[in-house]
Amino acid sequence: MSLQMVFYLLVFPGLLFTAVLGLSIGWLDRKLSARFQYRVGPPFLQNFYDFIKLLGKETIVVRDSVHSLFIAAPFVAFAMLVCISTLIGVALFYKQGFLGDLFVLMYLLMIYSIALILGGSATGNVYSSLGAGREIKMLLADELAFILICLVAIVKAGYEIGLAEIAAVQQARGAFIASPSGIIAFLIGLICIQAKMALPPFNIAEAETEIVEGPLMEYSGPPLAFWYLNHFMMFTIYPFLLILLFWGGFSANGLGILWFSLKYLLIVVVMIILKNTNPRVRIDSALRFFWRIAFPISFIALVLAVLGV
Amino acid sequence: MEPSALLTFLFLPAAVAVINLFLPVRAAKALTLLTLLYLLYCAITLWPSASLGSSSVYLGVDRLAAFVLLFAQILSTVILLFSLKGVRRDIERFFFVLFPLTVAFCNGVLLSRHALLFLIFWGLSGVSLYLFALLGKDAEASAAAKKTFIIIGGSDVFLILGLVLLIGSRPVDLWWLDKLNLRPEAPLYWLAFVSLLIASLAKAGGFPLHTWVPDFSKSSPIESVALLPASLDKLLGIFLLARMMTSLFVVGLTVKMIVVSIGAFTIISAVMMALSQHNGRRMLGYHAVSQVGYMIMGVGSGNPLAFAGGLFHMINHTIYKSNLFLSLGSVEKQTGSSEFDDLGGLAKSMPLTFIMALVGALAISGIPPFNGFFSKWMIYQGLLETAKTLPVGYQLWMLICLILAIFGSALTLASFVKFLHAVFLGRNPGTHKVREAPINQWLATGILAILCAIFGLFAVALPLKKLIVPVMVDLGMPEAMQFIGFFHPLLLLGLFAVVFGLGILLYFLVRTVRYDDVYLGGQPADPRFRITGSDFYREVREMPVLNKIFAAADKKYCDVYEMGSKGTFAFSGWLQKLHPGLLPLYILYIFLGLLILGLVINIGG
Repeated sequence: MSLQMVFYLLVFPGLLFTAVLGLSIGWLDRKLSARFQYRVGPPFLQNFYDFIKLLGKETIVVRDSVHSLFIAAPFVAFAMLVCISTLIGVALFYKQGFLGDLFVLMYLLMIYSIALILGGSATGNVYSSLGAGREIKMLLADELAFILICLVAIVKAGYEIGLAEIAAVQQARGAFIASPSGIIAFLIGLICIQAKMALPPFNIAEAETEIVEGPLMEYSGPPLAFWYLNHFMMFTIYPFLLILLFWGGFSANGLGILWFSLKYLLIVVVMIILKNTNPRVRIDSALRFFWRIAFPISFIALVLAVLGV
Repeated sequence: MEPSALLTFLFLPAAVAVINLFLPVRAAKALTLLTLLYLLYCAITLWPSASLGSSSVYLGVDRLAAFVLLFAQILSTVILLFSLKGVRRDIERFFFVLFPLTVAFCNGVLLSRHALLFLIFWGLSGVSLYLFALLGKDAEASAAAKKTFIIIGGSDVFLILGLVLLIGSRPVDLWWLDKLNLRPEAPLYWLAFVSLLIASLAKAGGFPLHTWVPDFSKSSPIESVALLPASLDKLLGIFLLARMMTSLFVVGLTVKMIVVSIGAFTIISAVMMALSQHNGRRMLGYHAVSQVGYMIMGVGSGNPLAFAGGLFHMINHTIYKSNLFLSLGSVEKQTGSSEFDDLGGLAKSMPLTFIMALVGALAISGIPPFNGFFSKWMIYQGLLETAKTLPVGYQLWMLICLILAIFGSALTLASFVKFLHAVFLGRNPGTHKVREAPINQWLATGILAILCAIFGLFAVALPLKKLIVPVMVDLGMPEAMQFIGFFHPLLLLGLFAVVFGLGILLYFLVRTVRYDDVYLGGQPADPRFRITGSDFYREVREMPVLNKIFAAADKKYCDVYEMGSKGTFAFSGWLQKLHPGLLPLYILYIFLGLLILGLVINIGG
């Protein structure tokens, strides 16, 4: 493990960058959502204050739960998200392969859900168990379409599975989003990441008004702070992944940086608009939507990609 | 390797089985353990010198056989370690006779070079499966034993047919199973291929001949489930398939695609059934079927990388699946049940068993950096590599199979989340007083869990370079290790550990902990409102289209055995109606028969 890798991991594009950008974009999320509801919204640093405040609060642990699992879960998810952000970021900004390819990434992304489910259900809380069941069903729902759109990117890149290679093909031959299969896959991908981040209308596992945050119900203090941080870090990870897979990646010149920032902001704003204009759906409707509508559409995208369109 | 040295693998365990008949049980256990350890040592020393150069007409060992042999010894030793304490008292004696006997039969299959010998040992290993099934204690045990025997025995018929067709036309001294390379022009080539495919699928538990696996898993002693359907039968079935694809037949593209599709369909259909199970053993049984799909895909595709991945997945599966079966066995022995609704909250009282089961569950779901991921990853790459070179239609076909395989592992994860939740997490006041499994049991599962981690983290350096590459070179596919992607499990673990350590360090610096009861909106925690997790996937079951398929599966429409027996009884019932005991009718039959005979002779003449 060289010094450079430690830099990748802890500073840029890993821990520090992802966390700071995530918490800042979290402000945008809260501010915009507030404007949708005719509220003023919080100041820019509110997410940072919240994180630090939660670190100072006491941690309440359920007496007869599996303590170690309960405490470790948010940190496992956190560490895995940092590794994932490093993996994506190095491919995006440095144009190198790092840690693993797209298949590896697809499987690593599942670990967040596993940690959430195990941590939540370690408490023995009924609501957490209900939420755990829903979380894994959501994973099943969006994973099918997500696999397909990843395959679209792979096929369009000429069967390359390295993230840096997929971006390089687009730099050379134009972004996939400009082709029919690419744009379909991108749009389906946008819905998939909405579900993977558990944003409305897919916040079924956490459903505050119904099962009281589900798996997060018993969390408090620093572990809860890290769950919030994890959530906001995903606000950078998933849009970056979409840009990398379909929207041409990143060019390191002045205009390139501006263009990349605009693409990123556009994706995030669309996600926030979707979030604020759609009520939560039931788990069976979500399953049905992804398996019966999103899956066939993304399959069409795959067929088009194989045909070279 | 001298043929006489190979005989040790057959005669030593068989002799121990006979001796165990007369020894006190304690001594039988010790003797069996020593024997298996010795055989393990022999298999390790056999590995470097394995070649067909000096083998006899009857016995011989190439790299592939030596490789499978090694893992058969490892698995049976670990499973025996688990069985040292905890086998039901009333079956203990017979169990320790049958165990070494099974090992002997399995070794026999692997070491046979002569087709006839292969056939005999293959059949005998099926018999030992039947005998183990008879040792089950619940009401369904004898039915499960019968079903197992009929499917496995029935598939032996196809094995005989296949082998006869394959070598019937050759001189007797060429009844070897290596280097036949039968070409498609050979007479009855297809029939032979299909017959052998049926035999290998039935043994390994591939669709549609898989239905004995869940039934056997449900009612047989759990040690034998870990030994046979989870480990040895997988090794044997895939061993035969690997032989078929490399040295017996020269297989064309369409056939390969069909075999890959069988694999993909096996994965998805079995894992869907696993999702809706309410019994731990049956659920694991369905997974033992679904995982075979990956091996069939890898080995059947003929791509070197996928083939190596298929072999790797085979050994990985034997490791994590026996781990899972044995962990569930520990739970069952401590609590007396394997029904999800009776369990829950055991992570507190059986922490070691929980950790082993967690590792097994992550490995089977393909979560990096455990071993299951690495082999699946190799298979996916191999399939993509093949797809790249195909015409558009085949490309799509291959991609659909690939989608099913990847989605299958998400479904696997889902059903293991249910397993972990229902058995170890959540809350069940009834399991507070349960004690941890005895030392030999968690030692056995612990060895397997450690192997899961080692084979994942050091996949390239250890199992692939040391074992699978030599096998692939021997099979004439030296280019097996050219990955198209890349993955650094150790680096991933290192970086993960750094960040995880930082997070935990921060937590310990700032934490103030208070312990309290579970919070349910101010209500007391009522044990009646308990989520076991066994109904996690009701929505999946109730989806349109899927509900019809599940209903059909519940009626056993996909079960060859049940359908076969229904068909047989319908036919014999019809025959019964023709025998009402009326003399004039029988006289009419005789005349009709004579008439038909006359007509046939007339036409023939």
